[in-house]
Amino acid sequence: MISDITLGQFFPGFSPIHKLDPRTKIILATLFIVAIFVANNAVGFALMAMFTLVLIALSRISFKVILKSIKPIVFILLFTAIINVFITKGDGAPLLSFWIIEIYEEGIARAIMMALRVIILIVGTSVLLTYTTSPISLTDGLESLLSPLKKIKVPVHTFAMMMSIALRFIPTLIEETEKIMNAQKSRGADFTSGSLVQRAKALIPLLVPLFVSSFKRAEELATAMECRCYRGDKNRTKLVKLEYKARDFVFMALLVLLLVSVICLSTLPYNYPSFGFIYDLMFYKV
Amino acid sequence: MNEILRIENLSFVYGKGTPFEKVALDNVSVSFEKGKITGLIGHTGSGKSTLVNLLNGLYKPTDGKVYLDGKDIWENPKEIAKIRYRVGLVMQYPEYQLFDETVRADIGFGPRNLGLTEEEINERVIEAARFAGVGADLLDKSPFELSGGQKRRVAIAGIIAMRPDVLVLDEPAAGLDPRGRREILGSLRDYVNQVGASVILVSHSMEDMAHYCDNVVVMNSAKVYRTGTVKSIFSEAESLISVGLDVPMISRVADELRRRGIDLQGELYTVDGVKSAILRYVKEVRK
Repeated sequence: MISDITLGQFFPGFSPIHKLDPRTKIILATLFIVAIFVANNAVGFALMAMFTLVLIALSRISFKVILKSIKPIVFILLFTAIINVFITKGDGAPLLSFWIIEIYEEGIARAIMMALRVIILIVGTSVLLTYTTSPISLTDGLESLLSPLKKIKVPVHTFAMMMSIALRFIPTLIEETEKIMNAQKSRGADFTSGSLVQRAKALIPLLVPLFVSSFKRAEELATAMECRCYRGDKNRTKLVKLEYKARDFVFMALLVLLLVSVICLSTLPYNYPSFGFIYDLMFYKV
Repeated sequence: MNEILRIENLSFVYGKGTPFEKVALDNVSVSFEKGKITGLIGHTGSGKSTLVNLLNGLYKPTDGKVYLDGKDIWENPKEIAKIRYRVGLVMQYPEYQLFDETVRADIGFGPRNLGLTEEEINERVIEAARFAGVGADLLDKSPFELSGGQKRRVAIAGIIAMRPDVLVLDEPAAGLDPRGRREILGSLRDYVNQVGASVILVSHSMEDMAHYCDNVVVMNSAKVYRTGTVKSIFSEAESLISVGLDVPMISRVADELRRRGIDLQGELYTVDGVKSAILRYVKEVRK
């Protein structure tokens, strides 16, 4: 069934990560992404990986869920890794060469690093944001972070509202799709066989009712909002005010520290002849 | 009993193996009589709609079998689409499935999927429109300019146009005004009589059951609670009330009268039935 699909699922909980202010989490995720792209040697990556493991442990999200989040990208990972191995040309002699294929040590190193980078990126950001932050607090945080833009007349609140409405209606739309699909199947519609053109045509009986009901729903929602005097964020107060706590500053300091150390590590020179093989391996630059 | 559909030891579980697992049907066996209108009643969440989706193979049973004319419908899973032509399902709020440019084309969607010729399709559209009470003047309009009740009728005609042996309707009258209700439900009897099909009608309304059905299947918490003719089911008012269902309002009046020593006889679950019973009683007392 379609409803089995999980879309950036939120797992409610009370872990230290869950309790962080959503703004903090958005800032952390940004710093984290910068750090993972700065890291360019084994020590840097090890540091990032360790930090990610600490995040997972703190968030109390089961390892199974984490593995499941990687599953959909396994194919892309393998694909890019293979391309990297075959395409990258190195300075030294190729490790392996047959026919037109030449494999260099740079290629293998790059493939491993790229794969690690994507895995850490996805796991880190999903633990920080999607798994531990409800969509509502995520949009709240985003609105608050972007609020300086209001000075130059960017409708920040409207954007945040649009985002939360869109997120809110994903499950509803999935349910609706399933219902209409079943209704059309009851009239002999076939969504799964036939040529590409036939299948595209078979979608019309599904898409037309879906659009019609979406427009209707949008109109109803707009009317309902107007009935409750919705006027954007004018004079609007909040039930839950976002406030930075000590916890937030600790995490931000930690991440700044992480970013600084990764930057420092990345500038360390590679190929000091006197330090030997282990040093080379640790600070090999990609 | 001449049966058209029979289910045996049927179970259905939503989200099996996940934390959200929910048993919707638990080892249900029941059969539906040919050429009759069978009502399916039960509380919200008692498994009615799930059962209905299993009857035409939209859902695959977790356990158990569904027999149509004595043949297991899942015997050949590739042919399941053919079952859907023979067991026509009108879902809840079916007006949301309308999509085509004209009412005529929309009603013809099912027959067209059957691979009939244009001539046959047209013939079936006209016939189905007549049964469902869709006026001929509406056929060339867009389904989106019709009223709610008209849309509902067009959607029902869309299923009837496939000439199913069993017509299953899930709350076909929900949200309609009393007149629309009477017209839609009343046309079911014509359909059964003229085509010789069988009808399964899901409803909350005891009045509708008493009025339009021959047999009743009562469902309660994922199981079949009672089956029988309308008369036998509604004469056990106590047992229906014990599972949180109601009897027709008029049955309560009749019950109360009987409790006060007025000996009424006959069909005490429709207004007409009780009326004639009271008249009979009054005549007898006069004598």
